[in-house]
Amino acid sequence: MNIRKFIDLRLIGIVGSCLLIMSQFSSWISGLTLINIYLITTSVSIEDSFLYLFPLISGIICFIGTFLVLYKLEYKLNSVIINFIGLGFFLIFIFKFIPKEVPYISNPEIGFYFAVIGALLILLDILNVLKLNNNLEEGSKN
Amino acid sequence: MLIGINGFSSFTELKKELNVSTGTIYHHLDTLSTLIKQKADKKYYLTELGIRAYDSIRNNMGSTSFDISKTDYNSFLLRGLMHLTPKRIIVPNKKPNLLVIISSIMILILGGIFCALNGLYPFFLLFGTIPEMPYAPLFNIVFFIFNFFVFFFIIKTICWIFYKKKGNTIEFLNTFAIIFIPSVMYLIIHYFFIVLNIIEFTFIGILDNIIMILFQVWSLWLLTYSITTYNRLKIENSLIISLLLHYGGFSIILMISI
Repeated sequence: MNIRKFIDLRLIGIVGSCLLIMSQFSSWISGLTLINIYLITTSVSIEDSFLYLFPLISGIICFIGTFLVLYKLEYKLNSVIINFIGLGFFLIFIFKFIPKEVPYISNPEIGFYFAVIGALLILLDILNVLKLNNNLEEGSKN
Repeated sequence: MLIGINGFSSFTELKKELNVSTGTIYHHLDTLSTLIKQKADKKYYLTELGIRAYDSIRNNMGSTSFDISKTDYNSFLLRGLMHLTPKRIIVPNKKPNLLVIISSIMILILGGIFCALNGLYPFFLLFGTIPEMPYAPLFNIVFFIFNFFVFFFIIKTICWIFYKKKGNTIEFLNTFAIIFIPSVMYLIIHYFFIVLNIIEFTFIGILDNIIMILFQVWSLWLLTYSITTYNRLKIENSLIISLLLHYGGFSIILMISI
């Protein structure tokens, strides 16, 4: 069964970026969402607080990137680069967040899983878009 | 191209290489009769016009080997990245240039020095710290150069194993250090942020992260451009190699830092 016949696999990027955005508002550790952690950190050390907004920024950038390739397949390289920039924010967040929160990360909550699955879906979307043929869209229209 | 590279070609060689029917080859040879001519030895040679056409294609190889859609190419992002690409240096079929070799060595030394000053260890195009590792500046420098060769070797191996493309190893190695320019520039900027003691400021901290992401995109683009140019891979396949190596490197750095 060819799954491509039934679903446009480019949608996984949209799903991934939505999961990343949703993760910002879901609980990560000890029932706290990243927004909660951001607000708490703002009052303690403002310089570190913006880090907790990175998944949201990443989700928004990746949404733009994946939407671009849905709008016009010819923009696939632009889409890949925009997605890469978006994922860069998420990777920086994970890179700084995980070592800092290692004691709590053994019991992560839904937000963490949303974010990781979202990032993996975006990565899969990048690979899928790169494998797509430029003529696909024209072909499907005819 | 086949005749241009070898100087001449027999009909059997053309058929074997192009993998099309005999009739198709005859049809195309007939169409290209002003560029290709069969001589008395039954082999096919380029005519004077054919040689000129071949030279022209070869000289513009850098721009024609990129199969990028016009819409994509004219976009703000790709045009910007193309402006930041040293297209005159990353060129196929060009003999190694002494100036490029010296520049490459300088990039490696500079990268190693600033890695040492920042106390960072490179992993492909990324940088991280190794916990409980004593501060040893010389080791950082050696590690940077070692990383350069390991990264190069892995890319060549992937091109060879997965895409069956050998490409030109010497030319690729000659300009490979260029892809580290953005990384080295980031290390320099990061070091000055630390020296000036402004990295703790909110704005500078965010700026440092954004610079890192943008410079990584630049590095990745240079890597993709180099792989496409020297290994004759499609740009999409080069991007897949670059991205998978980048995220693979990130996963390893994350595991080490935990």
